[in-house]
Amino acid sequence: MTTSTFKKVWRIPLLLGILTLFGLLAALLGTGTWYGLAWVAMAIPLVLIIYHTFKK
Amino acid sequence: MAALKSIKRWFWWHRWSSLICTVFLLMLCLTGLPLIFADEIQQAMNTTRYEDLPKDAPKANIDLMVKQARARYPKEVVTFIFIDDDEPQVRVNMSPSWKPTDPGRHALQFDSRTGKLLNDEPSVAKKKLLWTDIIFSLHRDLLVDLPGELFLGLMGVLFVISIISGIVLYGPFMKKLDFGTVRKERSRRLKWLDLHNLLGIATAVWLLVVGLTGVMNELSTPLFGIWQMTDVKTMLTKYKGTPIASQDELSSVQAAYNTAMKATPGMTGTSIVYPGWPFGSPYHYLIWTKGNQAFSSRLFTPVLVNGRSGELTTVVKMPVYLRALEVSRPLHFGDYGGMPLKVIWALFDLVAIVVLVSGVYLWIVRRKFYTEYFKQIEAEAAL
Repeated sequence: MTTSTFKKVWRIPLLLGILTLFGLLAALLGTGTWYGLAWVAMAIPLVLIIYHTFKK
Repeated sequence: MAALKSIKRWFWWHRWSSLICTVFLLMLCLTGLPLIFADEIQQAMNTTRYEDLPKDAPKANIDLMVKQARARYPKEVVTFIFIDDDEPQVRVNMSPSWKPTDPGRHALQFDSRTGKLLNDEPSVAKKKLLWTDIIFSLHRDLLVDLPGELFLGLMGVLFVISIISGIVLYGPFMKKLDFGTVRKERSRRLKWLDLHNLLGIATAVWLLVVGLTGVMNELSTPLFGIWQMTDVKTMLTKYKGTPIASQDELSSVQAAYNTAMKATPGMTGTSIVYPGWPFGSPYHYLIWTKGNQAFSSRLFTPVLVNGRSGELTTVVKMPVYLRALEVSRPLHFGDYGGMPLKVIWALFDLVAIVVLVSGVYLWIVRRKFYTEYFKQIEAEAAL
């Protein structure tokens, strides 16, 4: 796989993975604002799933 | 074609690791769904009416609760006491024997502020099993304790292998496709293949974390067993041979609790294990304490207090593998970031169900596809 295809394929999955991991840890280690950030970060993969699954 | 060969090998791993664990994973996803909201369900089903007292009302003396309990069951032993930090209750657990699985074991529920007996619960054998208990047991051990825990742990390992191999396969599959491509018009098989890939890769990290922490949780019995046989045993060797105190000879449990609290500033006591209970010490009260902060409340520190003299023996340092287990719990349950996190957990769980079912579907139609293909070749050859 060339570098450009690698980037194209993995950019979004990697981003979603980092967001999920961030959300999991932010809620575990922090409180208050961190909770909010965790919810938003972890909702993004779900929103993308819903968008791509149901778009016409 | 080395690349093709390696893809085929990963595909083999993905197919078989998934197929073996799928039925169990499906059960785990379905039973796990209500368990995410276990606290809320329990609260809704809770029938205890507590007296309305101010929030900072002083706590009653635990010695007096134990006295009431022992007066009711003079032939039994007090095994451990649970001190709730959520509801104002103290639960004194008793049993006819020290056997952890004794069907006669039971609990007496006290109001932690008034010390009044609220509920003298029937024994485990006579207690009506709630649907939530059955679901939890199915999820943890398929209703068969340790063998079930180890078996589900093994299924968890297969699940983790299937996720990793799935991530590896995602790369070559998506080479010519944009993220999120779902080809709906061509065929049902293609549509579900695309959905399987999209849903799988978007939830991959969550699946991995919940899978790995699930395996860790299934290992809790052997891990605590190792600790008991190594660290705890070493700690207790110097007491070997000293007579074991009967319950009449024990020092005040409230005093032991206070001593433990003084030794661990900033911690809350959650339970007191009596001398003699197999998951503790024959000579000491073992007081489990936990931190007060969001994260530290997940980390427990046991304190040993001499059962006869009531003196502090030691604040035990937990080994790394038990710390890892403690951190694994919230990351598996999803109950640590408020209601929105629980809802997110449930949604991820639902997506996981779709990934599992679509995986099986793809395997079935793929086989049909191949058999039809072979039949066609055969028919052509016969002509």
